Amino acid sequence: MAPFYKYGFFGDEMSLVLAFVLGTGFGFFLERAGFGSARKLAAQFYLYDMSVFKVMFTAIVTALLGVTYLGWLGWLDLSLVYLVPTHLVPQIVGGLVLGVGFVVGGYCPGTSVASLATGRVDGFVYAFGIGAGTLVYAEVYPAIKDFVNSNDMGQVTLPEVLHLPWGLIVFVVVVIAVAGFSAATLVERHFGDKA
Amino acid sequence: MKLPALTLNQKLACVALALGVLALFSVPHRGPVVTLDTRELALIVEKEVDHVTPSELAGWIVQGRSDYRLIDLRAESDYAAYHIPTAENVTVAALPEFPFLRTEKIVLYSDGGIHAAQAWMLMQAQGYRAVYTVLGGLEGWKDDVLYPVLPAQASAVDRARFERVAALSRFFGGEPRAEGAAVATAPMELPKLVAPVPSSGAASPVAPRKKKKEGC
Amino acid sequence: MSSDHRPAAMPGSGRPASPYWNPYLAGIGLGLVLLAAFVLVGRGLGASGAFSSTVAWLVNLVAPAHAQSNEYLQGYLGDGTTHPLKAWLVFEVLGVMAGALFSALLAGRARIAVEKGPRVSTGVRLLCAFAGGILMAFGAHLARGCTSGQALTGGALLNLGSWAFMLMVFVGGYAVAWFMRWQWR
Repeated sequence: MAPFYKYGFFGDEMSLVLAFVLGTGFGFFLERAGFGSARKLAAQFYLYDMSVFKVMFTAIVTALLGVTYLGWLGWLDLSLVYLVPTHLVPQIVGGLVLGVGFVVGGYCPGTSVASLATGRVDGFVYAFGIGAGTLVYAEVYPAIKDFVNSNDMGQVTLPEVLHLPWGLIVFVVVVIAVAGFSAATLVERHFGDKA
Repeated sequence: MKLPALTLNQKLACVALALGVLALFSVPHRGPVVTLDTRELALIVEKEVDHVTPSELAGWIVQGRSDYRLIDLRAESDYAAYHIPTAENVTVAALPEFPFLRTEKIVLYSDGGIHAAQAWMLMQAQGYRAVYTVLGGLEGWKDDVLYPVLPAQASAVDRARFERVAALSRFFGGEPRAEGAAVATAPMELPKLVAPVPSSGAASPVAPRKKKKEGC
Repeated sequence: MSSDHRPAAMPGSGRPASPYWNPYLAGIGLGLVLLAAFVLVGRGLGASGAFSSTVAWLVNLVAPAHAQSNEYLQGYLGDGTTHPLKAWLVFEVLGVMAGALFSALLAGRARIAVEKGPRVSTGVRLLCAFAGGILMAFGAHLARGCTSGQALTGGALLNLGSWAFMLMVFVGGYAVAWFMRWQWR
C-alpha cells in the first residue's frame, strides 16, 4: 500500500537515499528540457518559447492523473501524501515576488541548482543570491512573522474548496492544459518569428 | 474514411484527454466511506490478540516505552479530571480524522470498554492494523492497578507477588488494600494527576511528537 | 530564429550540442518522477527548503547562539538529534545536481558559461542573477515553496495555495518582463 514509507516499508535512511535518486531524475529531466539555461527559462516571459508552461503543466497533469488512478485502484492513500498547508495571502505575495525574481535572475531554486551543476556561472551566483536572501529573510522574520503565518486555511484542495468532485477537477485541469498547450504553440509561432 | 496522421504531440493530447474523461468517474481513496472485510475482522476479534491488560500497560508506562500511543476516548472534562498517565485525549468523534502514523501502535481505552471496542472497529475499518484496547478500560485500571485487593486467604507466594502489584499501585498514586479492610464510605478519589517519572529515564512519553519537516 | 532553441556545444567536444527534448516528453518524465516520490515516500519534490537547511547549518557553525535564537533558522536546525543537512531536500537537491550534470554531459551541453542576452555584459548579468536570487528567496519562503515544491508538487495534488501561487508567479513574471527585456533580448 502506498506511500510505502508511510506504511513502514523502509526507514529514514532509505528515504534519504531515495531523495537522492528522485532528485537525480528531477535534475535529469529539467536539464533535458533545457531548464539549466536561464535564457530558455526567461524566454517564457517573452512569449517566444513557452516550454516552461508546457513542461510544468505536462508534469502536473501526468502526476495528477497518476495519483487519481492509483487512488481509484486503491493502491495509493492520497491522504498520507503531504500537502503543504495553504496560507493564501502570503502565498499570493510570494508568488508575485517569485515571478519577479524569475525574470530578473532567470532561474528558480530548482533550475538554478541544475544550472550550476552544468557549469553555468550565473546559476551559481543565483544560488548564492538565494542563500543571501534566506539570511536576510531569517533576520526580518520576527518582524513579518504574523503576516507570514496569516490566512492559515490548513491543508485544502481545489475540490474541497469548490465543493466539486475530485475527478471533475482533474478533467477540467486536463482540458485546460491541452487547450493551453495549443494556445501556447500558437503564441510561440507568432512571437518566435520576431525574435 | 482515413484518419489523418497525428503528430506525437497530438497523440499525447488525445491520450491525456481520454484519461481526463475517464478520471471523471474516479473515486478518491480513503474518504470517510470505507470497505470492511467482515471475515477477517471476525477472526481478529475471536483470537483476542487485540487486548492489553491494565497491568501490562502499567508495566509499559513504568519502563518508559514510547513505541505506542495511549488514547483516552472520553470527553475532555473527564480526561482533565483524571487519565492514565501518558494518555492523549482523542474523542471517538475526532478519531477518524486524527493523523495517526500507519506504523504506530495505538492503544485505546474508555470508561468501561464499549467505546474502546467500537473505536477499535472504526480504526480497523480504516486500515490500521496495530490497534489494541485496554481490557476493562479505566474501571479495569482502577481495579487492577490503582486499587488492587489482596485476598484474605492469600498464600505466602501470593503475598510476595502482591508486593510488586502494590509497588506499581503506589507508583501511580493508588492505594493497595487487603480484603476485608475497612472500605471507605466515600467513593474512592482518583489520585492527583502527577506524571510519574519512568524508571528507565527515557524521554517523557508525553513530549510533543517530533514533526519532521515535509514541506519544500 | 532564436538561438535559445539551439544550445551551444561543449568546447572541444567536436560535436554540436544535442537539441533540447520535446517539452511534453520532458514534462511526462518529470511528472513520473514526482509520482514516484508520492508513491514511495509520500511527499513531493522541492528545492527552497534545501537552501534554508544549508543556511541554517552555516549560521549555526559561525554563530550558534544567533542561529538557535532565530525562530526561522531554528526550525531548520531541529532539536539537535539529527544533523540539519541530513534533510530530505538536501539529499534531493544533491541528486538534482547529479542528474542535471549527467544529462548535460550526455547531450554535450556541460560547459562553464554565463547565460545571458546579447546586449548585456557578464557583470551586469551576474548582478541581476544575484538580485534575482534574493528576491526568489523571499518569494519562496513566503510561499512555503518554489516552483518545484509548490507549483509542481502542490499543483499535482490540487492544493489550493499552490495553484494560487502558480498563477501569481506567471503574473509577476509577465508584469516585470517588459522592464527586464534588455537582459535577455
